[in-house]
Amino acid sequence: MKKITGNKATKKTVHKPTAQAVTPPAPAKVRVATMWLSGCSGCHMSFLDLDERIVELVKLVDILHSPIVDTKDIPEVDVGIVEGCVNNNEQEHELRKLRSRCKALIALGDCAVTGNVPALRNQFALRDVLVRGYEETESTKISCIPNDPIVPRLHPKARPLQEVVKVDLHIPGCPPDADVIWYALTELLAGRTPQWNEKNLRYD
Amino acid sequence: MIAPRKISLTINGKVCKGEEGQTILDIARANGIYIPTLCYLKGLTSWGGCRLCIVEIEGSSKIVPSCATPAMEGSKIITDTPRLQGLRKATLELLFSERNHICPICPYNKGDCGLQHQGYVHGITGIRYQYLYPALPVDLTPKYFGLEHNRCILCTRCVRTCDEIEGVHTLDVANRGNKNLIIADLATGIGQSETCTSCGACVANCPTGALFDKAAAFRGPLASCEQVKTTCTECPVGCGLKVYTKENRIVTVWGDPDSPVNEGHLCIKGRYETWAEPRERILTPLVRKNGFLTKATWNEALATIRKAAKAATKAEKALLVMPRLTNETAKTITNIAGKVDRVGMHVTANEAALCAEPEFTADSLRKLQDADVIIIIGAQPSRDNGVVAARIRQVVRRQGAKLIVLHAGRSDLDQYADVCANVVSLEHEFWNRVAATLAGVQRPAVVYGPDAMTPIGVTVMERLIKILEANPSGQEPLLISLPRSSNCLALAGNGIEPVEEIGPWLDAKPLKFLHIVAGDAPEGGAQILEEKYVPELLEQIDCVVVQASYQSRLTENAQVVLPSAIWCEKSGTITNIEGRQLALRPVLPASGEAWEDKTILESVFA
Repeated sequence: MKKITGNKATKKTVHKPTAQAVTPPAPAKVRVATMWLSGCSGCHMSFLDLDERIVELVKLVDILHSPIVDTKDIPEVDVGIVEGCVNNNEQEHELRKLRSRCKALIALGDCAVTGNVPALRNQFALRDVLVRGYEETESTKISCIPNDPIVPRLHPKARPLQEVVKVDLHIPGCPPDADVIWYALTELLAGRTPQWNEKNLRYD
Repeated sequence: MIAPRKISLTINGKVCKGEEGQTILDIARANGIYIPTLCYLKGLTSWGGCRLCIVEIEGSSKIVPSCATPAMEGSKIITDTPRLQGLRKATLELLFSERNHICPICPYNKGDCGLQHQGYVHGITGIRYQYLYPALPVDLTPKYFGLEHNRCILCTRCVRTCDEIEGVHTLDVANRGNKNLIIADLATGIGQSETCTSCGACVANCPTGALFDKAAAFRGPLASCEQVKTTCTECPVGCGLKVYTKENRIVTVWGDPDSPVNEGHLCIKGRYETWAEPRERILTPLVRKNGFLTKATWNEALATIRKAAKAATKAEKALLVMPRLTNETAKTITNIAGKVDRVGMHVTANEAALCAEPEFTADSLRKLQDADVIIIIGAQPSRDNGVVAARIRQVVRRQGAKLIVLHAGRSDLDQYADVCANVVSLEHEFWNRVAATLAGVQRPAVVYGPDAMTPIGVTVMERLIKILEANPSGQEPLLISLPRSSNCLALAGNGIEPVEEIGPWLDAKPLKFLHIVAGDAPEGGAQILEEKYVPELLEQIDCVVVQASYQSRLTENAQVVLPSAIWCEKSGTITNIEGRQLALRPVLPASGEAWEDKTILESVFA
């Protein structure tokens, strides 16, 4: 319950990010924003798989912006965690905004790190991808490639985060194990750089 | 031969001993020092392409690939420095960024992939280079495996395996630079290739998921499978198999590298045809009631058989077996031979003569590697014994041994032959060429099959042996008898009469009861029905019992059908052409109500 009220408090301060700094909680918590781009949400699910360790985590961390937190804009944060790759102009805009408002950026999961499954379409021309998706799909009844300017424009290629912005830490995995996420976050919170080797790395 | 000079060098401060001519990697591995590799594979020539095995040599600014650099006396090698680490990481990142290595959708993920493993060892997370995302094809034309170019790292292990182990050189590399592509023949699909033998060795040696078994794809990593070593019963060579199973199903079959027979290599029969081919199994005993075969219990089936057997006198009963049975089953058959008039084993044409004098040459397949001329008479190893054919190609193509092929049908070995002719070619000119080829040879090997046992074949062979014996420098020729039917030599050795023509054998005395052991032969023993008069003769017999694993025309016409276990459900031993006793181990529990051949025979003739 405490956690929920905490989030509500941040929700009020979202429109004036500077106000947050004026009322700091007793031990300064690390401010985190997570973002979901072109991915399946599996990495966020894996994050929730931390289970009871989340209680430990929220003692040290405030999640201010996330698909599971109801906020409209990205506040200034210490750490940005991004799942999924950059597939369209809206995602690129959001990612650049997050990068400009966070001190460190973590690419979480294979889509963010390598492009992964969304990048399978990179072998084909953009036009072919759209035609296949909106006109030739077996379930299509009325074929129409969306062209309303309000709909985000698909990039010619899906790109991993590193090809768009500077990334400070990659956590590969499809999805990364909750234990791996826990290891990476606790190492960072302890001020250390996570060390990757054959024991904790997974690309699948 | 002069023994290579012993040398000693220092690797990472440890004094290591080796022989001149060994590479730095060989000596490091022998001394338990780890150097990462991707394109290196023991048994293949070094390629030096992946550049992961790079090492520094003290006093030299150059970095060298250890798999392709001969070790030198007294040199000081360092295998792990920050500089080497950085270069290896960069190499791996370039490999990852070059093609579409999307691990989550690869059947080789979760532990089987060499590239993935090296990525983990080197702590690779984000790739610093731009991904190229090339549009690459997937070749699914081969029947049992596929080539996914997106996952290929161009280590050429498949190319070298195809060239050096199977010896057919179907695969090669086309184009230049990042347009490199593994191709078959002149860039056809592997399935359409005329030279590919579908031996699957390239699949077993691929470090990534580029070459994958269709049946094994997405069945989980091999590391999670159970492994059982057994013996292939498809031909008399008796290759060692390493069978991977999961949830009582075969995931894949690999050659057993520890087997002295095949040293890890397999042919299409052993690797795929035994299990990846869909065949109708017989799962319960079947008894003919009102003209239709109906499911029955073992007790019912055995009672029906005993009733029919009682109605016939001993002189009216016979037992016909197909080869591929274990030596233990052969003993059982010998024991029950007194209860029937005659026991016959169906063998292919001209094989009875081979069985008449079973000849086992100990260690002959290894000795074949030292031969400087190989004469093949009346055998078709390319068709019947793929592993022997592969070894012949290795000896001829890599060691420059001469090859004489005398046979009735063409095969791919003809193209490497110095003299290639039909067995009946006996002209003067031909013998002059043979004599010229055999002049001065020292270690001749003669591989002879069933067709060498025809009258003309025997004449040719005698003449060849005479030429070889007249050769002053030559050793005694290595004789390898290569029958077509698996374990037929040992079965004949147990006193089971080999029968080539079933018609006269059936017709010798009128029969009322015939028990046929078809076992797990792929065609289910139905090949005997091709023979003239055999279907009619079988119809005249009151009771035909067929014990078989697969449905066939033979089982369709039987009075009683008994389900028998297949190769991967059996235990026992078989004797291969070298005379080795090779163990069969049950890989899977018996399907349905199938029993082992031995148990069925004991119950029927109790």
